[in-house]
Order: sequence, then structure tokens, then C-alpha cells
Amino acid sequence: MPDSDSTPSHAITVDAVSFGYPGVGDVLDRVSIDVRKGERLGVLGPNGGGKSTLLKIIMGLLRAKSGSVHVLGMDPAEARRTGRVGYLAQKVTADLAFPLSVRQVVAMPAAHRASPFGPTPKTALDAAMAALELVGATALAERPIAALSGGQLQRAMIARAVVTRPEVLLLDEPTVGIDVEGQRRFGELVEHLRRELNLTVVTVSHDLRTVATTSDRVACLRRTLHYHDAPAGLTPEVLREVFSHDVEAVFGSGTVDGHGHAHD
Amino acid sequence: MRTIEYLTDPALGPLYYPGLVTAVLVALLCAPLSVLVVLKRLAFVGQGVSHAAFGGVGVAVLVAATTGAGLFGPVGQAVVGASCVGSALMIWWLSHRDRSDGGRTTRHADTAIGLVLAGSMALGLVLHRKAGELAADAGRQAPPSLESVLFGSVWEAGWPSAVAAAVLLVAVLGGLVWWRRPLIFWAFDDAAAEAAGVPTGRMRLVLLVLLALAVLAAVRLAGVVLATAMLILPGMTALELSRRLWPVVVAGFGLALASVLLGLVLSFEAEIATGPAVVFVQIGMYAVVRGVRAVRGASGSAASGAG
Repeated sequence: MPDSDSTPSHAITVDAVSFGYPGVGDVLDRVSIDVRKGERLGVLGPNGGGKSTLLKIIMGLLRAKSGSVHVLGMDPAEARRTGRVGYLAQKVTADLAFPLSVRQVVAMPAAHRASPFGPTPKTALDAAMAALELVGATALAERPIAALSGGQLQRAMIARAVVTRPEVLLLDEPTVGIDVEGQRRFGELVEHLRRELNLTVVTVSHDLRTVATTSDRVACLRRTLHYHDAPAGLTPEVLREVFSHDVEAVFGSGTVDGHGHAHD
Repeated sequence: MRTIEYLTDPALGPLYYPGLVTAVLVALLCAPLSVLVVLKRLAFVGQGVSHAAFGGVGVAVLVAATTGAGLFGPVGQAVVGASCVGSALMIWWLSHRDRSDGGRTTRHADTAIGLVLAGSMALGLVLHRKAGELAADAGRQAPPSLESVLFGSVWEAGWPSAVAAAVLLVAVLGGLVWWRRPLIFWAFDDAAAEAAGVPTGRMRLVLLVLLALAVLAAVRLAGVVLATAMLILPGMTALELSRRLWPVVVAGFGLALASVLLGLVLSFEAEIATGPAVVFVQIGMYAVVRGVRAVRGASGSAASGAG
């Protein structure tokens, strides 16, 4: 498996990747992670554990100091630039003061490289409508982006993330600040998209419940890789190792104990 | 109406035409850019760039005083233009995220602008004074007054000025049309644009250079101090009128054009300088739009309360 850099069955291979910021030291130390096509991988770790850095490396926004990364068998920046990788940020980073319709916003990743002559190409507008249909938000298409509720806005942002029909979807702390009901709906929506588009989904989170309930496999990350397997195999020992003193806070209502017992 | 008297006077009228044409071109050039300047919160950057033009004017009048080249000729305009674009690039460079540490340290644009603004104002004042002395010694035409440089003097503009404004109009509108999709995507959502492959650093540079070129044109109309009004107020008012992209852009053009024309009329009728007159009209338009919205909002809520 380690030498299967770009085998077709893998969507993402991260091989012995190290990365550091000057004056801060290594944030990632020889991390190897593989994600199969169609798989849901959860990346779990404490704040500052290197999750975001790993995500940026998978997107090709940062270059690994050593080791190699392949996304869909190609250079990660190339995969991202060609629309094969969708990305949903933790917070809505958009400036909602812009006078734009939902459809204009959703079409952006599909339209920004279009010829400057003439109007937005029909293919991009059709792709935007198709993406809105996938998230069940076609009725919002002509609404100003500023007029959406929080939940509607999240749907629009998800639609934008899949408008180029990516093969890989990266979710960065998608459920931070969302109530339990909202988290459930979000999980269902992602699952629906995954089936419809044959997506490989990577979810980065410090929230164990999010990761455990929505992933086929979990990668526990704290500078090095501490665990890389099915969530059922997670033990309190592993989690203690990754989160050190934070375990109580992370476990919240004792979900992890539940998992541990179920597995015994 | 003094305005009609002046403009139709067979002897006086033609003297006003270059200024009139320049003013209209500047309005059309600044209107769409002002929408982005407001949304992207670049008002203070515009302020920095326009003040940097003063440093450029200082150099240009010094050149004019020693060589006899005109301030509004190609040489003078090139010097002022270089200082606008140069200061925009310096602001970009000083405030550009340093990626060697993953963006942990960011120098903010406002600090960089403070430096550029103060430096070029100081330089401009010293050089302007020096140029005045040199021109007097050499028996050449004195440089334009500080007041006209700071607050604008569109009637001093000749046809070369109008031609310069036309060239800048084509450059700025051309750039905006050419880059509109990645530019709006980046301005709207930096992180998502970067993820989607928009060259975000280049977009920032494009917007700053377009801003610098627009400032160069606007300085002719409203001077160093008031130029940014042209780059803020039309967009600011247009954004109050609609939440749709094209209506906002069209409203921006209309407001900019109307404010310049009404401003010129006001300056004739009330006998005040053109730059301040245009600024008064623009602020007045914004106040009216906000006022109407406030009254509508109040009566709307009163109606719903009664119902």
C-alpha cells in the first residue's frame, strides 16, 4: 500500500508528509494517510494538531517539506484548480454585502475561467441550477445572497462547493456552531451528495461525534498519525493520546465510552 | 442660469468643454470601480494612493520648473501616474501576506497606507515649494497653486487632459470587464476563490492598479484630497438602491454622472470650486437615499403595526 501512490482505487494518498512553519517547528511529522475512492474519512485531532495544515496540503495551497501527496493520481494543486476538489470552509467567509443572487454565487467556481467576452456561459448557469437542485434549494436561485437564513446560506455554500462536479469534497469543521438538528440535516445532505456524485468525503473536525458518525474511517492527527482505521476501533487510550487532557471535553456526553463498550 | 450663459457664450463656452468632457469621463471611469472599492473596503487605500499622487505632482512640477515640460503634458502625467501605481504597488507589497510562515504574520494595509500617505504629502509639499522658487528664478510659468492640486481645478484642464482621461477610462473599464469574474469571486469570498483556483494575489494587484489609474484621473477633477469621493460615494449610494449586481452597476454610472454634472452646475451657480461642489452633491445624494429608506422603513413598520 505505501508504494501505491496513484493507484486508481485511491482518491488521496499522503505519504510520509512533514511540514513546519519557521519558528514554530514541525506541525506534521511523517504523516501517511490514504483515502479510497468513495470513502468517508474523518480527520480528528485537537486544535493546533495539524488538521488544517493537512487540508491545505491536500488542496495544494501549502507544499509539504518532505513526502509526497497525490489527489486523484495528480498533483494536489492541479486537482483543485481543475475543479476536481470541492471545499467547504468552517465559517462562511463570503461578504454578504455583495449584490449577488444565489445562482450567481453558486456558479462562480464553474464560471470564473470563462471567456471575458459575453455573458456567463450557459454551462455554468446550468451547473449552478443542478447543484442547487442537489441540495434542494432551486427555489432560492434568484434570491439575493444577503436575504438567506443561516441554514439556506449553508445549502448555497454546499451547492457552490459541488458545482464543478468534484470527485473529492473537503469539509473543514463543518458543524462548528450548528445545533444538533442542524448537524443531522447537514450529515444527511452530505450523504445524499456523496451517493449522487460518487464523492470521496474528507471531514476535518475536533468533534468526535461528527467524525465517528459520518466516517468509514478515522485518522487521528496530532503532529503524527496516531490512528487510521474504522471509528469502532477507537479506544479511550487513543483519544487520550491525541487530545491529552482534553478527553473529557471532547467526549462530551460519554459517546466514546459507548463506542468502547459496544466494541468489547 | 449662469451655467447656460457660460456654456453657450461663443467666446467663453469652448474654454469649458475640455473640463466638461474630462469630468464626464472621470465619472464613468470611477463609477463601477467605486462599487468594488466600497465592498472590498478599499476607501482608505484609495486615500493613500491619491495622496501619493501629491508626491508625484511635486516631482512633476519640479521637472516642469527645470525643463519647461508642462505638468499636464505626457511627461508630467507619466510622473504622477507612476507615483499612483508605484504607491499602490508599495501598499500591496507592504501589506501582502508573507507566506514563509504560513500567513501567521500579516502587515495590515492601513499601516502601509499611513506610511505612504505621510511620506508623499511631505515630499509633495517640499518639492512644490522648491519648484515655485526654481520657476521664478528661470522665468518660467509658476506651478499650479497648492489649492488647485489639493482640491481640483477641472477648468484648468485642456484637451490633453480629456485625452488622458479617455485613455484611462478605456484601461480601467477594459480591466474590469476582462477580469470581472475572478475579480468579483475573489472580492466576494477570498478563501473559496483561492480553493477554486482563482489567482488571488494577482486579483488584489489588478484591483490596486485599476484603483491607482482611476485615482490618477479623479485627481484632475477633485484634487488629491477629494479624489476618493469619486471612488466611494457613487458605489456607496448605488449599493443602497439594490441588491442585484447589474442594477447596482447601472445606478453607480447614473449617480456618478449626475453628481458630476449637477456639481458643475452648482459650482457655476454658487460660484464655488468644482471639486467641493461635486462632493457636496454626492453626499447629498447619499443622504437623500438613506433618508428615503429610513422614512419608508419607519412608515412600513408603522403600517404593519397598525395592521
